[in-house]
Amino acid sequence: MTGDRPLALVLAEMVLLVLLGPLVTGAIQKMKARLQCRQGAAVLQPYRDLVKLFRKGTVQADTASGFFWLVPVLVLAATVAAGALVPVVRMGPPAFPLGDALMLLGLLSLARFLTAVGALDAGGAFGGMGASREMTVAPLVEPVLMMVVFSTAVVAGTTELGALAGRRGTSWLLMWNAADFLGFAAMLVLLPAETGRIPVDNPDTHLELTMLHEGMLLEHSGPGLGCMLLASHTRQIVTLGLVSALFFPAGPAGGTETAGLLLGASAFAAKIFVLAVYLALVESSYAKLRLFRVPQYLGVGFVCALVALALRIL
Amino acid sequence: MSAEAVHAIIDDIGSLLLFTMILIVAAGQIYRAIYAVAAQSLLIAVAAAVLATATGNSDLWVIAAITLAVKAIVLPWVLHLVVQRMNVRREVEAVIPIAATLALAVVIVVVSFQLSTSLGPVRQAITGNALPVGIALTLTGVLVMATRKTALTQMVGLFASENGIFFTAMAVTQGMPLIIEIGVILDVILAALVMTILVLRVRSTVDADIADLDRLRG
Repeated sequence: MTGDRPLALVLAEMVLLVLLGPLVTGAIQKMKARLQCRQGAAVLQPYRDLVKLFRKGTVQADTASGFFWLVPVLVLAATVAAGALVPVVRMGPPAFPLGDALMLLGLLSLARFLTAVGALDAGGAFGGMGASREMTVAPLVEPVLMMVVFSTAVVAGTTELGALAGRRGTSWLLMWNAADFLGFAAMLVLLPAETGRIPVDNPDTHLELTMLHEGMLLEHSGPGLGCMLLASHTRQIVTLGLVSALFFPAGPAGGTETAGLLLGASAFAAKIFVLAVYLALVESSYAKLRLFRVPQYLGVGFVCALVALALRIL
Repeated sequence: MSAEAVHAIIDDIGSLLLFTMILIVAAGQIYRAIYAVAAQSLLIAVAAAVLATATGNSDLWVIAAITLAVKAIVLPWVLHLVVQRMNVRREVEAVIPIAATLALAVVIVVVSFQLSTSLGPVRQAITGNALPVGIALTLTGVLVMATRKTALTQMVGLFASENGIFFTAMAVTQGMPLIIEIGVILDVILAALVMTILVLRVRSTVDADIADLDRLRG
């Protein structure tokens, strides 16, 4: 098979995503703090938290089964594997068979499922509640994400993200189709839900009854909690990478020289930064929705995605 | 501007119009619906300006200016004023759940696209997707009017519906005669004024809302 992205590049991209994930979270936290006129923790704080957690010992609930300690590892593995499917520094199909966007969404939902199973396994009340809520929101988010992917994939004729982004080339906002606007609008609505942020979930609290994702992490401790946190950082940057691959594939398509790779990497960084600013702004300007209002909020995204798909097909 | 560029721009504006319409349908608070309808009118004005540069029809410039002034600024401001006067901060009251309304809106959009594909040669003469988008906007506006209890939200639905008709007329005919467009806009202003006065009067004298009127017997 011929392709633009050799194995080494794909692996390097995957590692890069995992390493940069906490940085994005830190940057969003910092921006939120500045918007609230606070000094805020340093941008590198998530790394420090992770280092601290990995040094600590583990405490486990008596009711937890032997499967419980495996959960964080599996979640992290599924999320990191999803990271391999996102084109970062270069567009174009990979040189070897690799999963497509559906695989990516499948891996992310596998991670979500495992997190919920882990939370139920430990037997804590908060964990069970968080899991049930997360599983209520997930079926509303995932089909819509798939529809957004399909609405762009219909044009390119492939669901492989690298090829899809490569086919769209370096088209910029002016080249956007009518359906792209609606698809992007749907994506902007979904992004806070998929990354577990306000108005759907609040990432800053694990002391409230409103928590979704944090509630599921309560029973984990030490390295396990570190794995779960790293997985959620990675999930966030993978989702942002998916958005930028679908809608802003403005990066060099070919060329093996370092200059092209550097340009691609900086373009990717810029795109992620813009989306992170968007997330920080949304988080600072909206209140968290009541759980029963979330379906209505996500319904807007669903309708936008469906109309985008309709515009493409009809 | 080339014909394809105009088609593309009108298509894009059409999709943004649909997006604002979805926001109006989904709005849980009256303020959001008002802002969305103001944005929609702004987009209509932009579409008029685009068509004006494309066709060289100077009437369309006037229409764009009037739309911008009246529909995007004055009418939302009046609605805003009424909301403040009535001191309603409460949420939009829907007859059927808002999620169900959203689903109906999807059906409307898909059906209007499906129907207008069958028009074939007629559709070729029309700029881009303007016809299905216009039909969808009009029908969804009617849907909003039919499924809301409070008069203010029904007014928002009426404006959205009117926007749809305006958009269709503009794109299909490449600009109607100026006098007709001005007449239409005057109608809208008049309707808004009458409804505003009615809403305020009904509220101040009997403290009832439109939903209560169905028990009124002559």
